[in-house]
Amino acid sequence: MTELSTGLTSLLAGESTALARAITAVDNEHPVARDILGAIQAYLGKALVVGFTGPPGAGKSTLVNRFITEMRARSKSVGVVAVDPSSPITGGALLGDRIRMSEHTLDSGVFIRSLASRGHLGGLSISAARIVDIMDAAGREIVILETVGTGQSEVEMAEIADVRVVVLAPGLGDDVQAIKAGILEIADILVVNKSDMPLAKQTVRQLKGMLALRAPVERQVPIIETSALDGKGIPDLSEAVFDQGTNHASTKKLKSADRYRRLLAQTTARLAETLVHQQAHTHLKTVLEELKNADINLDTAACRALKILNENLLND
Amino acid sequence: MGEEEKLKSKTDQQPPDIDTAAERWQSEFDTQLSEKRIVRNRSGIELKALYTPSDGSDKHYQQKLGFPGQEPMTRGIYPTMHRGRTWSQRQLIGLGTPENFNQRVKKILDAGASALSLIPCNSVYRGYDCDQVEPELLGTCGTVLNTVEDMDVCLRDIPFDRVSVALNDPLPFTMLSQLLVVADQRNIPWSKITGTSNQSDYISHFAANHMFFRLSLPGSRRVQLDTIEFCAEHVPKWNPLSIVGQHMQQSGATPAEAMGLTLSTALQFARDCQARGMDPIKFLTRFTFFFDISISFFEEIAKFRAGRRIWARLVKEHFGIADERIMRFKFHAQTSGCDLTRQQPLNNIARVTAQAMAGIFGGLQSLHTDGYDEVLSTPDEAAAKVAIATQNILKHEAHLCDVIDPLGGSYYVESLTDEMETEILNVIQKIDDQGGMYNAVESGYVQTMIGDSALSFQEQIESGEQIVVGVNAYQEQEDASTRPVLKRPDIEIMQDHVSQLRKLKSERSQAAVERSTRELREVAQSSKGNLFAAEIDASRAGLTQGEIIAVLREELGFGQPLVVA
Amino acid sequence: MSEVKPYPPRVLVTKIGLDGHDRGSRIVASYLRDAGMEVIYTNPWQELDSVVKLAMEEDVDVIGISSLATDHLLVPKLMRSLSDAGLSHIRVIVGGIVPDLDEMELKKAGVSRVFHPGSTREDIIDSVNQLAIQALEARPSF
Repeated sequence: MTELSTGLTSLLAGESTALARAITAVDNEHPVARDILGAIQAYLGKALVVGFTGPPGAGKSTLVNRFITEMRARSKSVGVVAVDPSSPITGGALLGDRIRMSEHTLDSGVFIRSLASRGHLGGLSISAARIVDIMDAAGREIVILETVGTGQSEVEMAEIADVRVVVLAPGLGDDVQAIKAGILEIADILVVNKSDMPLAKQTVRQLKGMLALRAPVERQVPIIETSALDGKGIPDLSEAVFDQGTNHASTKKLKSADRYRRLLAQTTARLAETLVHQQAHTHLKTVLEELKNADINLDTAACRALKILNENLLND
Repeated sequence: MGEEEKLKSKTDQQPPDIDTAAERWQSEFDTQLSEKRIVRNRSGIELKALYTPSDGSDKHYQQKLGFPGQEPMTRGIYPTMHRGRTWSQRQLIGLGTPENFNQRVKKILDAGASALSLIPCNSVYRGYDCDQVEPELLGTCGTVLNTVEDMDVCLRDIPFDRVSVALNDPLPFTMLSQLLVVADQRNIPWSKITGTSNQSDYISHFAANHMFFRLSLPGSRRVQLDTIEFCAEHVPKWNPLSIVGQHMQQSGATPAEAMGLTLSTALQFARDCQARGMDPIKFLTRFTFFFDISISFFEEIAKFRAGRRIWARLVKEHFGIADERIMRFKFHAQTSGCDLTRQQPLNNIARVTAQAMAGIFGGLQSLHTDGYDEVLSTPDEAAAKVAIATQNILKHEAHLCDVIDPLGGSYYVESLTDEMETEILNVIQKIDDQGGMYNAVESGYVQTMIGDSALSFQEQIESGEQIVVGVNAYQEQEDASTRPVLKRPDIEIMQDHVSQLRKLKSERSQAAVERSTRELREVAQSSKGNLFAAEIDASRAGLTQGEIIAVLREELGFGQPLVVA
Repeated sequence: MSEVKPYPPRVLVTKIGLDGHDRGSRIVASYLRDAGMEVIYTNPWQELDSVVKLAMEEDVDVIGISSLATDHLLVPKLMRSLSDAGLSHIRVIVGGIVPDLDEMELKKAGVSRVFHPGSTREDIIDSVNQLAIQALEARPSF
């Protein structure tokens, strides 16, 4: 326990090495992670968590790089969690997002951590939410979450981030069509990056059209044009982020409850999955047999399996 | 007597017609070779076991081959080719201080060389002065050269109005600016200076994703064009652009890809120059090329012959130029270090010999042969001597230069030249579809193409499909003590040099430095005015190369690789 | 449920000093990724301090330095900086053109392995896996 408290003290004091090791513990589901997560609960909620998502090629990392510069100019300490996909086959991953942020490497006010999604379907690492919490507990004032812009990651990011920035680029028009359903719903801010490209105005118009089609909502979603290459529009983006951040302060608690419910559901599902694979209980075999013969449907089988596993767990 | 008659009647018979003979050979070949396997070269072209007149192109001799110095240039760019002037023997020398360089280059010139080649230290490549980098690294790969004074020492007692100079001087071409200032000091008119800015093609640096990115991609584009424009007017015998296929092949592009990408790069430069209103006849004559020669012998020969033919056609079709002198595909080539092995290093002499032969049969104008110790360390003097001797042996003892394009007309070589041409044109088409080489590099398309090929070639070695002697076959236990011991520059001499630079920096006119820095910055900001002209002024005012590059980096952006992984 | 779960080794593949030839480091990064590792890849020309901070933030097990010119001469300095930063559990390997005498110096400075041209994929992967286990065992607890 003394070891843990030393590590925790350093973590809460914002010491980088402790932060790095706490993140690893959580990412690897090391036993010590439970203690860390338990102990930091009291220190959460101070950071403004900003999520960046969008299709590949939209220039997310370059934009995040500029955003970091802007936050540093405002003397905010920054933590970045950059998620890249793991190969579903080998489990390996090439983590290269931070290359675009290399000018901040030596700044002690910026802590960047690359995460592999580790086979998690949503595109976010399953531990991303917890890692954001650890950065929060370590006193990072702005925590940036950059996600793989595909699949379900937007929805997950939406639950974690206080402000959700969706990054698009001109010429990705077809993608805008394809992703509008999921991505526009969650956006607090829409960014059209690479605004110096010829099709930028057209993309902005398209997006405005799509927003107008939506049922009227209480909040306004600003569309900001940026050029991550020369930094155009970045101050506007920062203002918008802080504006939205204040708007969302009130709903933060509510969102947090939702998030934990979802985390619990995910973890339960994973636990059940492991147990179904491991258990050789005769009752479970019967269920499997009946399922195979189509005597029962999948829902019924799942309910019965949960019951069996539950009894088994209690016996252990 | 009976026997004799039989024999006689046999010789009197007509040979069977070609189709019957071919059929018979094919069937015998098939029965006798039990194991069927498909043989491909590095560019992926499937090779037959035998080439015959049915593969040749005799019928189209004038369209496809022609005569040396005439369209379509397949057989060589000059009427005399290696019968006349053979090729320039370029050996890169560097190491240490300007003083060290000067001593060594004088020895080489005394021994009869007619050209000199200056390769700077990696710190110079990165755009830093010697007082800005870790001292361990100084002068280990080339000459530490930061100022006009350094250039003056390098060229002491060397009549560089009569000796062709090759500077390994990537943009913004600070070394050339220093050379021109030294010329002024010695009253040598710029119009008399001949030579080449080697490795000057910035696109290849971004494409191959290696070496030195000194400025951002758009910044590089401007400086390159400013320099081409300046030289065309003021240093007319200087080749300001050497388009570098070598970087791409070294990074893993196949020979066909490397040639296709290089020609696409040349087209990009030519279009950019034209967009500035420059005259194609003026700038195209000053384009030179630089290639890698791998050990894939026939493939390399075909690569060069096909490249020459395509370039002549591109010049004619894209720029409407009928003058055959402008169509000349002048190239320097270097034997590839990638094929050399650390295992059994003396074997590398054989490899370099085969590579050099491919380059010579390919019709090169200038050749660098690698030292056999290239994979062990930076080459030492003894290894460099063997490398030069290799060229002389091939020239004088093996008589490779007696006949022009000696493999021309070989059924195999002509057929392979045609097939390589098709492959190369495919690559050029792909790049055109991307909107040209600049865009294709900016988007990472080219880097991905090269990376994929590098990985796939490495797979062939890993799997044993490509045998490499001493590496994945014919291995031996080796005694490391037989390997050459390398020399490193004397740390004290290097420290002296650093102190000299510091002294120079403190003693020069600070007012002149400030004024010149300001002027350079203004030209960079204004997007008007010629940046290279401003650089020459800056060098004259005493700015070091590190200082000039720092200003340009601030104004035009720092160069970084564009593709991450 | 309380044992430590196996996790992919984390490896930083980078280049220090002045040279930029990155064919080798790219190929090695691909190999390690395809062997199931999490590879943090950087541009060439990293400063030593940057390598230390990267290794610390990313909490890697192994650092692979690629050197084609003479940049490996800086590795002993890197080893000292890692140790000063409390990161001496991280294993360091060097790949590329490293003369024999230099290799001895690197080993003395604490480098675990030097890979020369012609090294096989299998050898590199096995070695990194083993070194990652060593790093895990040597790692300070939280």
